[in-house]
Amino acid sequence: MIVAHELVKEFKIPERRPGLAGSLATLFTRRHRVVRAVDGVSFEIPAGSRTAYIGANGAGKSTTIKMLTGITTPTAGYCRVRGIEPYRHRQRNARSIGVVFGQRSQLWWDLSVPDSFRILRRIYDIPDPVYRRNLALYRDLLDIDALGTTPVRQLSLGQRMRAEIAASLLHDPAVVFWDEPTIGLDMVLKEAVRELVNHAHRELGTTVVLTSHDIADIAAICDSALVVDRGRVVHQGSIQDLLRSADRRAVLFDHRDPIAPDAACAIVEQGLPGVRATVVDGGRVHVDYPATEFTSRRVLAFLLERFDLADCYAPEPDLEDVLRQIYGQRRDAALREVDAA
Amino acid sequence: MSAWSTAARYARLSWFLGGVGLHRLTAYRLDFLLGAGAFLVRVGVQTAVVGLVFRQVPVVGGWSYHEVVFLLGFSLLPRGLDHLFTDQLWELSRKLVQRGEFYRHLVRPVSPLFSLLSERFLHPDGFGELIVGAALVGWSGSHLDLDLTATQWALAPLFVLCGALIHSAVKLLFASLSFWTVTSLPAMYAANQVSEFTSYPLDIYHPTLRALLTWVLPFAFTSYVPCTYLLTGDTGLVVWLPVVTAGAVALALAVWRRGLTIHDTTGS
Repeated sequence: MIVAHELVKEFKIPERRPGLAGSLATLFTRRHRVVRAVDGVSFEIPAGSRTAYIGANGAGKSTTIKMLTGITTPTAGYCRVRGIEPYRHRQRNARSIGVVFGQRSQLWWDLSVPDSFRILRRIYDIPDPVYRRNLALYRDLLDIDALGTTPVRQLSLGQRMRAEIAASLLHDPAVVFWDEPTIGLDMVLKEAVRELVNHAHRELGTTVVLTSHDIADIAAICDSALVVDRGRVVHQGSIQDLLRSADRRAVLFDHRDPIAPDAACAIVEQGLPGVRATVVDGGRVHVDYPATEFTSRRVLAFLLERFDLADCYAPEPDLEDVLRQIYGQRRDAALREVDAA
Repeated sequence: MSAWSTAARYARLSWFLGGVGLHRLTAYRLDFLLGAGAFLVRVGVQTAVVGLVFRQVPVVGGWSYHEVVFLLGFSLLPRGLDHLFTDQLWELSRKLVQRGEFYRHLVRPVSPLFSLLSERFLHPDGFGELIVGAALVGWSGSHLDLDLTATQWALAPLFVLCGALIHSAVKLLFASLSFWTVTSLPAMYAANQVSEFTSYPLDIYHPTLRALLTWVLPFAFTSYVPCTYLLTGDTGLVVWLPVVTAGAVALALAVWRRGLTIHDTTGS
């Protein structure tokens, strides 16, 4: 479906020297610094998946998306979207993809959203039934009609995002690329986008590729994750699997025993050495344990035995923590390699 | 897709997007009126200056008053025709590359150049230039008792078309420089200023400037050269018009295409 093979992208950044003399010198000498934004990445994204493309800052996520959408040509390696190398066949590729770049609008800034849609309909040759069906869908889910005749440049960020998301799906693309769409700020919008994605996925088998800094966006939209660190895929699988790889898990509980909260913490930490227990608001106890040493069964068994539990639950591990842990481990490994050499 | 159906598709799209351009006119009426007012003042001043000059002297560089007005009017026709279709090139040179907004023309299922230009088809100022140009040409033509041959009548619209293509090519060339320099507005503005020289007979300029306007930035072919032919029947340089037009368009398209490949290496 979407394939990247040893994908490399290098940029030439002109070297600038400080001061007036420096800037004059820059005018006449062309010295460049080569920056490798994408460093030999290989991956495959199956058709119909909703994949979060995750990487540390500077991992070249946006650059990779630009290559997959055909805006940028790789320095080496190749990528294919549905069998097409996008940068070689931009127009053909454009028919089957939808794009949102969160920072930049693809709409006609001085026209209203309905006008922009009418133009897109012509440019993409969208058949009437498809166009009408999608407009009806956006009316229900995104409240597009409320945007009315306001020119796009006067819309708020949330309103514009609604329109951008809708525009990217208007022609029933097989793949949509959403690069840092700002949807997390608006709970209603986030729900609507989730609904839209589910709908497109169910009815058309649409593939979604998302990059985002907002873990909530990722969790709302995606079912799988592709984690890239320094050009290597370090995790590919469901978001659930990714969360399960967390090395620390937590349990929160409430109890009816007549003891001080601090005493309860002490009991936990003594009974399960290596576990951290802290009091959180409302007198609840937060138990944080290394998943490598304890099973959740053992921790829960201990709590049931020692406390008269009133309430107990285990929250999902935080995706950000999991990612930090993955990047941290790889960095440690890299440092060890350097030490060994 | 065959070439024919592709052409038909672009024609349909152009028709539709032209309609969008006209629709925009109603949405931005004040903009339009301001633009039209400023333009009329400019042409009015130009015509008045020409009138003042001819109060002092009967002939300038071998051109009579009405001939100069004819030239002034004719120069507006290709300029107006070009203006109707390529005004968005100013945006490219001004900010599209700088602000990284150009990408959207690369993810649409139409040619990037068409995508760019079609964002502002049928710019109202173009209509103004065409109307005023035609009025000046008609008025001065009747005073000159101009009697065109059938060939001249047939060629006149082609002259306007070729002139418009030359204007478009120069604009495209300078706007495309922004792919290398991020913004090329000063260069494009300068080229546009140079094109203003061709509202007047080239005979009044220094030979160097004349050569520049003929062979480097070939604006002479947009008005002076065809007007000389229409007014005097003297073919002169007019045979070069198709060659110069083709050359300018080919060069501009080559630079544009090269620019598209350069565009992505700056990391913007």
